[in-house]
Amino acid sequence: MARRNPMRDEIAIVGVGSTDFSRDAGGISAAKLGAQACIAAIQDAGIDKSEIDGVVGALEPGAPRANQMSSILGLNDITHHSSPMPVAVSALVDAMTAIFSGQCDTVLVYYAFTRAPWNSRSAAQDPFRSYLGGMMSGGLKAPPMPESIDPSAAYTAWAQRYIHEYDVPRETFGRVAMNMRANAARNPKAAMKTPLTMEAYLEARMIRDPLCMLDMDIPVDGADAFILTTTEKAKKLTPNPVVVHTATAGMVGRNDEDQLPSLERHGQHVVVEALKERSDVWIDDVDVFFPYDGFSIITLGWIENMGFAKRGQAGRWMLDHWDEDLGCVMIDGRVPMNPHGGSLSEGASRGTGHLREAVMQLRGDAGERQVHDAKTALIGCGGFFFNSQGAILKRL
Amino acid sequence: MSESVSDAELVERFPWVQITHDSKFHFRGWLDKQLLINRCADCGNWHHPPKPVCPVCWSENLVPTEVDGTGTIHLAMALHQGAPAPGVDYAKGPHPVVAVDLDGADGVRFSSTVIGLPPEEVVIGLPVELDWVERYGHPFPVFRKREA
Ligand SMILES: [Zn+2]
Repeated sequence: MARRNPMRDEIAIVGVGSTDFSRDAGGISAAKLGAQACIAAIQDAGIDKSEIDGVVGALEPGAPRANQMSSILGLNDITHHSSPMPVAVSALVDAMTAIFSGQCDTVLVYYAFTRAPWNSRSAAQDPFRSYLGGMMSGGLKAPPMPESIDPSAAYTAWAQRYIHEYDVPRETFGRVAMNMRANAARNPKAAMKTPLTMEAYLEARMIRDPLCMLDMDIPVDGADAFILTTTEKAKKLTPNPVVVHTATAGMVGRNDEDQLPSLERHGQHVVVEALKERSDVWIDDVDVFFPYDGFSIITLGWIENMGFAKRGQAGRWMLDHWDEDLGCVMIDGRVPMNPHGGSLSEGASRGTGHLREAVMQLRGDAGERQVHDAKTALIGCGGFFFNSQGAILKRL
Repeated sequence: MSESVSDAELVERFPWVQITHDSKFHFRGWLDKQLLINRCADCGNWHHPPKPVCPVCWSENLVPTEVDGTGTIHLAMALHQGAPAPGVDYAKGPHPVVAVDLDGADGVRFSSTVIGLPPEEVVIGLPVELDWVERYGHPFPVFRKREA
């Protein structure tokens, strides 16, 4: 593992832009949502579009690739472009590396997500989305068998393993969902704002036992975009830019979903080891915490693997740090967990929502969700298999 | 029997999965109701799903080796909805899916369903054994509870 971090605090996020997240944005394409977010981010940064010489885009079905977005926005000449996976931190790292190595100076990073026919009933009725069905099946003549353990099913299987090993009740997972929903109520962009009680969680429709529909992120139409440049240039735009202190991906060699050796060492552990190795700060220094929540079990993993709680104790820990008035976790009465509502309630962004909220918090622009004088944000993005990522952002 | 099945016919008979030159032996094995798992002839390690080289020693000398299919449930869930498949009716009750630690193939799991047992009895730690059902007209490996 690389212990060097020559990029530490050298790359800044100087612009953010996003659409609202909606369970049905109506007759708007993913390309248009992406373009709206990109334009908002460029305007937010206060730069001219001609200054952008790098584009890092989405690899999501239905979303425009980097070359298409360059054309849509009529950008100037580009010297670095890519459409990497996984989103969101690895896309950030790609942009950072390109800037730091001199491939380009100012990068537009964006991600547009669109409900697909297989995860949304209303999307299935949209003729303009029907082509996505063919992309999902990969040209096969029949759908995969129910027993095919794809990444999303695998989280449920490992959630049952977590219950088995640590003897925890379903309320542990429900607590994660309640935290996100209470926070989403304070986020105008969020898709799901209606309050959630534990009773409602326990009665929610089971999808893959032990996980119910409220353990799984909400498919939405939406987009996020970011502008990155050197910290040196950022200081000319704003006196206290938000910088990336460290960022990393993490994966173990044997990462097949059903072959993962155990819950005790997977991608999240690699991320945590790398972040600690390449950072001056750790969990006691954090003002706002972003554990990814594409599935509730992933959040429990981040809480424990980051070191906030002991193994199997994330549920107990959430109760110990629960703010009854706000209806959510406030670590030591001070640090919220996904104050924007996360993927479970703001909407399924694969973590770009977490990244955007981190920047907003560090700029002091988070409105009624604002953490007082937030200077450091910790992000655990992705899950256990191929897409674990992490980042620490700071305000200079 | 399966030796006479051409590559084209093999692909035809398994419309729901992408078969490759690395996994064609294993799906041919299904046609003979044999569960084959890759074992490295050089270092003896097992791996699954089928890979082009041994992940331990990089040998290409891999032998699809029949296992008897007994093992213990390591992961379990019950699908209340999911992909359609012949013989799977979610309206009649949740469909169990398990990953089984296979006896004799150290460190390897095989994922499938469990038949002949109510979903609530399909639990982690349960000893199981291999059985076969029909799906799309080809044999499909499943598990059932192994009696002591
Ligand atoms: Zn070997």
